[in-house]
Amino acid sequence: MSDGYVIIDLNDIEAFPYHQRGGQKLLPLQRLTGFQAVGMNGWIGGAGEPLVPEHAEDSDNEELYVVVQGRATFTVDGNSFDAPAGTLVHALPGELRSAQSEEPRTIIVAVGATVGQPFSNPGWTSFVVADALRREGRMDESRAAIQEMIDLAPDHWGPLYNAACFEALAGNADEAFAYLARSKTFADPDELRGYLEGDTDLDPIRDDPRFPELLA
Amino acid sequence: MNTAHIDELDRHEMRDGFVWRPVRRHFDIKAFGVNAYTPGATKQIVEEHTESELGHEEIYLVLRGRIRFTAGDDEHELSQGQLIFMRDPSLKRGAVALTDDAAVLAVGGKPGEAYEVSAWETWFVAAPLVQAEKWDEVIALHNEALAQRPDHAPLLYNLACTEARAGKSADAKTHLKRAIELEPKWAEYAVKDADFASISADPDFPAA
Repeated sequence: MSDGYVIIDLNDIEAFPYHQRGGQKLLPLQRLTGFQAVGMNGWIGGAGEPLVPEHAEDSDNEELYVVVQGRATFTVDGNSFDAPAGTLVHALPGELRSAQSEEPRTIIVAVGATVGQPFSNPGWTSFVVADALRREGRMDESRAAIQEMIDLAPDHWGPLYNAACFEALAGNADEAFAYLARSKTFADPDELRGYLEGDTDLDPIRDDPRFPELLA
Repeated sequence: MNTAHIDELDRHEMRDGFVWRPVRRHFDIKAFGVNAYTPGATKQIVEEHTESELGHEEIYLVLRGRIRFTAGDDEHELSQGQLIFMRDPSLKRGAVALTDDAAVLAVGGKPGEAYEVSAWETWFVAAPLVQAEKWDEVIALHNEALAQRPDHAPLLYNLACTEARAGKSADAKTHLKRAIELEPKWAEYAVKDADFASISADPDFPAA
């Protein structure tokens, strides 16, 4: 294969559980392809499993869901309908949508972008991947994924804060405090303080003498 | 919310033998380009082309069946659930169906730019109408597209071609003139274009 194209088999790539939601299994197509023009990711699930997390698009994206294989039940604004392979579902930003798999190895691909705006990768799929890898103890791969988030928004406090949480949970206090210090330089102080005070991810470092300095 | 099965979408059989299934138009999607293709009279399923002019990145996803995809000088057999991401717009691409039930979804856009509906969609819709010489309908389609993008030179040029063939000489000259004002290269095309045969000898032909 040349540098000009990439081939991916959706049945062969690793799926990452979205632990922060319902454990839906993400196929991180954006991350694997480097597609920069449009948002695109996949979801895979067995019969009876959740496929697409329930959400509306606060990003203002309009989305198209494509059932690639298997069969799903979609629910959009409370209305459920059967979606066999080959079904296309168009959802506007405010519509509350979710999908459940009805057959083994059902795969849905989601495509999205905002009308009138260039696509900008929000990096959430890298977070899902990083979190799943961390929970499996694959910290080096997790760090690489979280670094992708940081690189996408180097002046935003959020990815640095997430990196700190991951390091704290892994027992790496020095790294966690280093990330928190960087995050603090970009954060709204009140917003960050709220997270610091209430986030259980940071419990492993909460008794460290450096922690109160962050709240100051 | 709106939903459709790929087999329920309109069928536009193109001259090369592939069938265009206009997903974007069906749902009136404005944020990105997306279409589906199935084989028609020939086994062609994705038209051979590059994206050099539009600068689009594209993903082709096989929704059903098997295809042979050409990427540059390489060929790959792809089946349901496989996709090819064409990062390089200048790379030649195209595909033939290896099974009659094959269906491909194409998604595209230009990195760093908000999506604009590509003019080729108008030409694809107009193609059978041009064949049938239904000029008024072709003109109406172009005017509909130009209402959104009044200074789109290729649309203006094609409108002028249609108007010339329809015998609407004054309109043809007006729109050709505007296309050339926007992009002078259209003058070179116009002097060789048989569509303008009825007006190219006129003293006020804009490309003369």
